[in-house]
Amino acid sequence: MSAISLGKLTKVYSTGVKALDGLDLDVRDGEFVVLVGPSGCGKTTALRMVAGLETITSGTVAFDGQVVNDVSPRHRDVAMVFQNYALYPHLTVAENIGFALTNKKIPKREREQRVRSAAAALGLSGLLNRRPAQLSGGQRQRVAMGRAIVREPSVFLMDEPLSNLDAKLRVQMRSEVLRVHKAIGAATLYVTHDQVEAMTMGDRVAVLHDGVLQQYATPRELYDRPANLFVAEFIGSPEMNLYEASVAGGELVLGSQRLALGPAEAVLAPYRGQKVIAGVRPEDLRLGGAGRADQAAGAALTADVRVVEMLGSEKHAFFAIDAAAAGASALAAAAGEAEADAGLLAEQAHNGMARLDPRSAVRPGQRVTFGVDPRRLHFFDPGTGLAIR
Amino acid sequence: MSAPPLSAPPPARPRAQTRRERRRRERLERQDAAIPVELYGLRRGTLTALTACCVLFAVFILAPVVWVIINSTKTQANIFESFGFWFAAPFEFFHTFANLFRDVDGDGTYSQWFLNTVLYSVSGGIGATVLAALGGYGFARFEFRGSKVFFAVIIAGLLVPITLIAVPLYLAYAKVHLINSIWGMILPSMVSPVGLYLMRTYVELSIPRELTDAARIDGASEPRIFFRIALPLMVPGVMTVLLLSVAGTWNNYILPLIIFSDNNLYPVTVGMGLWSQHASNSGDANLYPLIVMGGLVTIIPMIALFALLQRYWRGGLLLGSVAN
Repeated sequence: MSAISLGKLTKVYSTGVKALDGLDLDVRDGEFVVLVGPSGCGKTTALRMVAGLETITSGTVAFDGQVVNDVSPRHRDVAMVFQNYALYPHLTVAENIGFALTNKKIPKREREQRVRSAAAALGLSGLLNRRPAQLSGGQRQRVAMGRAIVREPSVFLMDEPLSNLDAKLRVQMRSEVLRVHKAIGAATLYVTHDQVEAMTMGDRVAVLHDGVLQQYATPRELYDRPANLFVAEFIGSPEMNLYEASVAGGELVLGSQRLALGPAEAVLAPYRGQKVIAGVRPEDLRLGGAGRADQAAGAALTADVRVVEMLGSEKHAFFAIDAAAAGASALAAAAGEAEADAGLLAEQAHNGMARLDPRSAVRPGQRVTFGVDPRRLHFFDPGTGLAIR
Repeated sequence: MSAPPLSAPPPARPRAQTRRERRRRERLERQDAAIPVELYGLRRGTLTALTACCVLFAVFILAPVVWVIINSTKTQANIFESFGFWFAAPFEFFHTFANLFRDVDGDGTYSQWFLNTVLYSVSGGIGATVLAALGGYGFARFEFRGSKVFFAVIIAGLLVPITLIAVPLYLAYAKVHLINSIWGMILPSMVSPVGLYLMRTYVELSIPRELTDAARIDGASEPRIFFRIALPLMVPGVMTVLLLSVAGTWNNYILPLIIFSDNNLYPVTVGMGLWSQHASNSGDANLYPLIVMGGLVTIIPMIALFALLQRYWRGGLLLGSVAN
């Protein structure tokens, strides 16, 4: 039985805005599930509905099979960490952490003991008598976590708990949150807009867009087999390169170039003679990996390198090929958002990016050939945006 | 944002020292925060003109107070004959002060009236503050059927001057036996639309919703959320409302004038009005020094209260609660 299960959960605000549209989601006991999506996708609304802080337009929220739609947040026994921590400013750290226990009328002795051990687990032992104003951002974040874990909840909700920390601390707290999760073993629903957090932390990740669930799968699955164009673009940084292409005689026509389809040929059979959107991740383009044999087999892509960025651990080569870019960023560019850039950088305009070894000798202005493994290509229906599998 | 230290806290310092340091730091921070007028696009001359306006306004407000202080030292003859803004012998201050608490003409005594005023103001003021805090929090945090209409009606109450409803008020009071009853004075003083409005705005602006949400998730009941979480954070607003409603009742003249005919129930305002009437009718009872002295004694508690509560105006209560 799943610890949290959402059935056709829908939220329509009185303004008519549909924040969440029929969300189905199951979180198993002890599982860490990340809800991810761009801002305004409904992920926080969903979390607040699970907590009971938002009324449910339709659908159900159930814990351990019990529908809790009409249970007040006070009696749902969920713990929640808020984005801005929401610490009680006039109470000390110990009082903040112990507040839920005093509400439960837990005897003072046990309460103090539990507060102390929660504080110890989070490295807050020396700060118990301080007030939130006297703490750093990271310490406040820990207090917010402490307030949640001290209750030993069976359902743990987190609303972008790391987004107010600086980059370095965020990385550090990521593993700390996971450690705490492992220790208490509660079913956790974690909301973030940061796909890196989603990928690194989630046992499973639910990608939301415009209130609709796009895909619910493990991080590996999301990355390797995105269900649609949105997931393909949203997961992965740098983004997947997407192009308009067509299928002709067992080959993929990409502008003036042709790529062998290999094993994908059978899947794409219904699309013969039609347009598809083809995608390849920046790291799946191998420089110099295109031997003569590859090229003969048509598994190579010739491109003009425009800009090269050296990141130390890797090199990003921005290139242009004569196929039209597809996907949301391309659409935005077409809509004129990138117009200013376009005029200035017309000659430098690029529509693709490869992630290369930092020692590769690639220079702007160069014409290069990338080796492409046909098995690493992704195909999407241009009409529906769904993956072709 | 720099990486916050995660190491152990510095050792605690003696309390007095940290308080002094905090004061000093606050003062320095205020200095740093002050923006030179040039940055607002103002010229120095403009600033001087604005300051002059402020000074003029202050003089306008303070002149009567100064007059009262000076003339509380004079005899009745000197109040009328000497220059109003300077002292004139003999110095009668203590003599008048002592006389103030005698019964004059059997009208009742100043001390009785003063105690009445204190009673009405304190009970009315505290009652108004409690109701405004509860109501303001409720209107700020809960949506219920008709909440908008209720609030609109309460605010509309602000617009009705009491002089307009004097007659219906008297008739209504007569029906429920509130004429010549202290409750007739206290109960209406406990209703403060301004206070309610202030509290609602204060709660909306200064208590983040996440805080009450967090308390709800932590399993606190609504009364407990109010008393343990919201109320401590509402203190500056509560103090403002307390001061306003106490002062409002303290200075109220028209309501007690309508409902009291028994001299012993008068507050200072109405009692002094009675003296003033007698003084202009008879002219001989040496009442004017008493009226001036009474006015002086009456404003002192209000000034003291203001000075006392002023420190609650300081912000910063929510520091560290939520990240922004």
